[in-house]
Amino acid sequence: MITFDRVSKIYPGGSRALADVSFHIERGTMVFLTGHSGAGKSTLLRLIMMLERASRGQVIVDERNLSDAPDRLATLVRRNTGMIFQDHKLLKDKTVADNVALPLIIAGLRYADIRKRVRAALDKVSLLDKENAWPLTLSGGEQQRVGIARAIVGMPPLLLADEPTGNLDPNLSRELFGLFEQISEQGVTVLIASHDLELIRQTRKRALVLSNGRLADDIPASDGS
Amino acid sequence: MSPETRTSQLRRRARAWLRRHSYSFFSSLGVLLKHKVGTLMTVLVLGIAMFLPLGLYTTLNNLQGLNLRQDEWSAVTAYFKSGTQAEEVQRVADALEKRLGPESIVIISPAAGMVDFRAASGFGDSLDMLEENPLPWVLQVSPQQGSTDEVEARIRELTGFLQSFDSIEVTQFDYKWLQRLGRMMELGQAAATVLTLLFGLAVVVVVANTIRLDVASHSEEIEILALVGAGNAFVRQPFLYTGLWYGLMGASLAVALLALTVLYLGRPLGLLLETYGTVYSLRGLDAKHTLWVLFGGGFLGWLGAWIAVQRHLRLLRVGGRLGRR
Repeated sequence: MITFDRVSKIYPGGSRALADVSFHIERGTMVFLTGHSGAGKSTLLRLIMMLERASRGQVIVDERNLSDAPDRLATLVRRNTGMIFQDHKLLKDKTVADNVALPLIIAGLRYADIRKRVRAALDKVSLLDKENAWPLTLSGGEQQRVGIARAIVGMPPLLLADEPTGNLDPNLSRELFGLFEQISEQGVTVLIASHDLELIRQTRKRALVLSNGRLADDIPASDGS
Repeated sequence: MSPETRTSQLRRRARAWLRRHSYSFFSSLGVLLKHKVGTLMTVLVLGIAMFLPLGLYTTLNNLQGLNLRQDEWSAVTAYFKSGTQAEEVQRVADALEKRLGPESIVIISPAAGMVDFRAASGFGDSLDMLEENPLPWVLQVSPQQGSTDEVEARIRELTGFLQSFDSIEVTQFDYKWLQRLGRMMELGQAAATVLTLLFGLAVVVVVANTIRLDVASHSEEIEILALVGAGNAFVRQPFLYTGLWYGLMGASLAVALLALTVLYLGRPLGLLLETYGTVYSLRGLDAKHTLWVLFGGGFLGWLGAWIAVQRHLRLLRVGGRLGRR
């Protein structure tokens, strides 16, 4: 599903975010990306989302080489990728349902289908009763679950999460990781950037460890997946 | 891919495109209605900016109509030589009718002229002292109506034709007056064109500035939309529709203001013209011109929005908020 082949990323100004990173992630698996702050986790996710271009090497997602792909492919890549952010990135002047509906509106689905799928996604994250609420009236955990609902509502084959538990307490974090596992079990490839090593250890999933932009370790899954 | 699959894929894409546009169309209107005061102020500025050239254009249009529909204002008067017989006057009138087919030809005999003169001058008793009627036969000829230039050309032709008869002593026409009026109308039309261009530019600038602020206040939303897969077109659409709505609402207000002005000025102007023996009702915009104004307003609003959105999206992209290329 995702292949990085000797990928380097140097930002304008000379700051090196990734250096010679290579790995492969199978379709339908759940993988963690970990490392200290500034290790290059977010840059790696941005490369997959085509928010950045690799300076060297090849980024291949779903058999598409993104390194030399035309700019117009970026919207297609993002429509096929669900992204979850640490700061949720919800629209404050839209209701929970409207926020979750965004990817479907962009895809041009029928109103009735949008409503049905939004309710199903909200049900999956246990927020069906909050569909008409405003994001700012929700707790941090609930806002993050709205972000997850928005990421999965379009049924993308790939789900990326950038520090999704950054602002949550350990119990809520465990709950969210459990949700990601369920999503992954349905055949979705899930890549989660997190620095919560304890939680990562508990899930016993594969973990890619970045350090100063290099892939320092690739810890295999120990849960049999 | 089979032709059937290709067709159904195209159909599905077209439907998705339509749904995206209908979403942007109605959501932009909803946002405008939500911010009533701001919208009203912008629409007022646009409406007044569009009303000014529109008002001048309508004034000129009415002046043109008022001037050229007055037969007597553009009539040529031909005075025959003393002693000309009635048959010769009739011959000239017939030749004129046959050759140029004017709007009207009025023959005034010396006797009829004297009656009019007696009534108008107040010299009744003094005129009785004259041994014979000194007034000549007169022809009053009005050309066919048309634009100022057309009437001017017809008057030249009429005058030339009448002067070719030996029996005619002199032809009279206040040609300079009509010419001056015609030139003034041309000047007014040029001023209307300049005003239209200037205020059109003002509309574009006002909408562009409003949308620029709008885009700036929604930059976070734009970033989120781009992250969840919205292309440039989808990001642009609500702002372009907002510009279109502004333009349409401004143009509608300008048309309404013009209609009210015509209604308000119609009565006193009618009364004034009545004292000159003229009946005239002010003309506003007809349906065709109203549609053009609405179309033009909508286009200018859309153009202003497009300029603002393109510029702002470029800035967001350069700043890396929509992804770096």
